[in-house]
Amino acid sequence: MGGLKRKHSDLEEEEEEKWHWSPAGLRSYQQALLRISLDKVQRSLGPRAPSLRRHVLIHNTLQQLQAAIRLAPAPALPPEPLFLGEEDFSLSTTIGSILRELDTSMGDLASPQNPVVPPGPPDDVVPQADPVFLEALSSRYLGDTGLDDLFLDIDTSAVEKDSAPLPPQPPPSLFCAPGSWEWNELDHIMEIILGS
Amino acid sequence: MGEDTDTRKINHSFLRDHSYVTEADVISTVEFNHTGELLATGDKGGRVVIFQREPESKNTPHSQGEYDVYSTFQSHEPEFDYLKSLEIEEKINKIKWLPQQNAAHSLLSTNDKTIKLWKITERDKRPEGYNLKDEEGKLKDLSTVTSLQVPVLKPMDLMVEVSPRRIFANGHTYHINSISVNSDCETYMSADDLRINLWHLAITDRSFNIVDIKPANMEDLTEVITASEFHPHHCNLFVYSSSKGSLRLCDMRAAALCDKHSKLFEEPEDPSNRSFFSEIISSVSDVKFSHSGRYMLTRDYLTVKVWDLNMEARPIETYQVHDYLRSKLCSLYESDCIFDKFECAWNGSDSVIMTGAYNNFFRMFDRNTKRDVTLEASRESSKPRAVLKPRRVCVGGKRRRDDISVDSLDFTKKILHTAWHPAENIIAIAATNNLYIFQDKVNSDMH
Repeated sequence: MGGLKRKHSDLEEEEEEKWHWSPAGLRSYQQALLRISLDKVQRSLGPRAPSLRRHVLIHNTLQQLQAAIRLAPAPALPPEPLFLGEEDFSLSTTIGSILRELDTSMGDLASPQNPVVPPGPPDDVVPQADPVFLEALSSRYLGDTGLDDLFLDIDTSAVEKDSAPLPPQPPPSLFCAPGSWEWNELDHIMEIILGS
Repeated sequence: MGEDTDTRKINHSFLRDHSYVTEADVISTVEFNHTGELLATGDKGGRVVIFQREPESKNTPHSQGEYDVYSTFQSHEPEFDYLKSLEIEEKINKIKWLPQQNAAHSLLSTNDKTIKLWKITERDKRPEGYNLKDEEGKLKDLSTVTSLQVPVLKPMDLMVEVSPRRIFANGHTYHINSISVNSDCETYMSADDLRINLWHLAITDRSFNIVDIKPANMEDLTEVITASEFHPHHCNLFVYSSSKGSLRLCDMRAAALCDKHSKLFEEPEDPSNRSFFSEIISSVSDVKFSHSGRYMLTRDYLTVKVWDLNMEARPIETYQVHDYLRSKLCSLYESDCIFDKFECAWNGSDSVIMTGAYNNFFRMFDRNTKRDVTLEASRESSKPRAVLKPRRVCVGGKRRRDDISVDSLDFTKKILHTAWHPAENIIAIAATNNLYIFQDKVNSDMH
């Protein structure tokens, strides 16, 4: 999980600065937290039952982050520094990488670097491409529907398990727009990850 | 705080060889018995080690006895849940001593799923000279018995026998975090993440569910039980703490199922300190009634709090354990340290409280003088009669000699489990795989 690990000092600096952050800075802080949280959820899969206390606390933190990101309007520019920005990422390859990730984490605690992720452009903040699907998702959907939709998949209870294309709906349900089956699949995976 | 800074090490700490430290050696719980004569530790390898305080030495009549290993036994073994395809760790989560009823001692030990009642007995004499059986217990040929003799008890080397008396299994779906023996001495409770069960000490095949916070749909789960304890004097009262920072006092006389608490102790959140980590750091990791039964002590990630049973709105005292970590929460979240479950302890007179921290530091707070001290459990201070020096963590700015900077704290060295002798100023500190026992100078140095 090399790319996920960031230097502590980066995070501390961000945290110390949070009171005078620009909206973009705050957003990237939230993004970092979100990535850490999702990574924790993924990594907690193992041969032993994970700590429910830890699981619930991470889940609640994710919910808070989701609410905060929903409340904050997404800035059009500049692009998020944490995103890798691969435009050619398809959701299905991302899902594939999650499934592989799950598979490896179930079988072996040491997750190898995901081979699906192509090397991204040089990035100061994230020096190495990593298998976290968030960047891919956000880079794909940041442009059109905004981040609100992205984080709805965390709230698994909000998702209908309907494979039929959904009729056009006002937010917060428009996250299924790019292909509802894919979102449902992702949702299912999130359920596996987050659900107990 | 005089008594703390004067705290002395009188005992050798029980150090296992550092070069062979395995996960199994990590101490996971420490508990004195009701007299303080015995001290039990449990470890991640499922072992229980009991230490006994040696009687006063004749050569130095005023010195206190040291704690030496009395008995070691394997309490729990790793298991596998075939239905869920999950391993069940052998790690001892908690040990509780039963009040002594006869010459034998008894304790409860638990891992994530199964509670066991152990009986510890001593034998230092053996009968000899039976008429009808020989030394090995075999019946003699009666024709060889020509005279009768009176059997006698002959002294032998002390033998400590530990035997499992009861196994309380299948009572918990989630991980057991607490066990507590009731003051009625007949029942005890066991708490997991979502439920609390009441058991009779003599009955293993049934327990009564007294708290159940499991939602109908697990997706709606936002809160778990983190610790629970019976009131020391009122057998109908118990308290449980939650991951949202609240305490619920329940009265078993009110209803069989205590889902509705009698009192809810909760502190309103300070809006100036609000962050994404507010809930995580307010999660209560331990709750302990005072010996008097009037107060409750809780530990969350950054503080220890004293609550009066008569005041639910806020704690009567709040002590900062390591407030300098407040600006490091994101890193501590990333490294998972933020989920560490620190325990807390009262001294015998309920006037001083103790809890652990990082870097093998532990903290003591004197409730009367409001003085506090940071001490370190280290090999240096574990030399016999070494005096513990107060330590200071500096946060930027001026740094005095011997101060340690926040950035150089070792977060892998954490003191999660501590215990205080029920009557004297003797403390037991578990630091990873080492057990340190420190004693107040006043007691050990009488001239």
